[in-house]
Amino acid sequence: MKTRNDCREWRELLGAYALGHLEGDERAGLEAHLDGCAQCRAELASLEPVALMLPHADPARFGPAPQPPPELGQRVAATIAAERERGEKRRRRRFGGFALGGAAAAAVAAVLLLFVFGGGEQSAQPEQQVRFAGLPAGIAIDATLKPHAYGTEIHMYVHGVPSGTLCRVWLRGPNGASYPAGTFRYRWGDDSDAVLSSALDLSRTREIVVDTGKRTFVAPVNSPVAALQIRHKEEAT
Amino acid sequence: MIQLGTSTRGALSRERDVREAYAAHSGELYGFAVRSLGDSGLAEEAVQETFVRAWRAGERFDPKIGSLRTWLFAILRNVVIDLGRARSVRPGVAEGGIEPSVEPLDEALTAWQVEEAMRRIGDDHRRVIVETYYRGRPYAEVAEELGVPEGTVKSRVYYGLRALRVVLEEMGYED
Repeated sequence: MKTRNDCREWRELLGAYALGHLEGDERAGLEAHLDGCAQCRAELASLEPVALMLPHADPARFGPAPQPPPELGQRVAATIAAERERGEKRRRRRFGGFALGGAAAAAVAAVLLLFVFGGGEQSAQPEQQVRFAGLPAGIAIDATLKPHAYGTEIHMYVHGVPSGTLCRVWLRGPNGASYPAGTFRYRWGDDSDAVLSSALDLSRTREIVVDTGKRTFVAPVNSPVAALQIRHKEEAT
Repeated sequence: MIQLGTSTRGALSRERDVREAYAAHSGELYGFAVRSLGDSGLAEEAVQETFVRAWRAGERFDPKIGSLRTWLFAILRNVVIDLGRARSVRPGVAEGGIEPSVEPLDEALTAWQVEEAMRRIGDDHRRVIVETYYRGRPYAEVAEELGVPEGTVKSRVYYGLRALRVVLEEMGYED
């Protein structure tokens, strides 16, 4: 047989060997080389699992794979959007029920909803999810507050006010002082959060306020008490 | 293992995350669904249900545990089982209470992975593996047909298996 001194030449036989296609002198020569070459043994070990998978496949299916129809993506998006809408309606009904359920129910709601992460004044404070409860039918507002060295990062989600509504947000501290967090516009069909920030530390924040022009919504922050408030402005209409 | 997941966030709860995941993985998921269900209509249903379930459970997706792709395939696998059950639940058929076996589905997933990997390697590599392994033809005959030395056919089989290994790893396959 041909003498193969080059390790690479032996290695290039490992595919045929792994498939059981090598015979005679070539097979004996490779096996002798494998006895003395850890690198080629490792290479063979990495090919063997692949060789064992081959019998499962059907070579008639190696051609182009079927592609999903283009409208499937739109159907998926529409199904998810519809399910989200249904979820929001359920959530609004649920909060409406709490608001009508009296002080005891409201207290339970506050503990459950406002203190998802424990709350309280702590030095290493986790982020807080604040839900504006008892909102008018059709309106949903959530906020996530994250502590930072510069103050508080606020992710606002608003749904159900007229498209184009300018929303002004600020935080209130223990003494009632207001710290602006910025403005954003609500647009129909946009499910993204508005990201805002305020200089007030999350640990010192007592309330978050959202003003939509016609109405002002207030939710307590860091408060164990169910101080769910909605202050309706006097509206001409 | 190499992860192909596109999302670096820990959640799939936003609709735009789902859109990105759909753009990246729907083709493969659909391919496997067609392979295992044998019906393009059912496969579309399976892919749609997979993304809806992924969106519902989006907060539970953790990229530290596995890739988005692996997670979506795990959901699809369950969806295919459910669809298979729904299909088999017909009067007079389901009364025996026999659950469809899960085993053929895992075999189908292995088969689909190899077939998908075969599609992704080079034509030269795929050709020699098909001719020598699947058609069982002698190396000398294949070499003559291709106009190359027999040693070249052998080395192409070797580099072809290596390429398959790399592609399978990219697809999330682990030994």
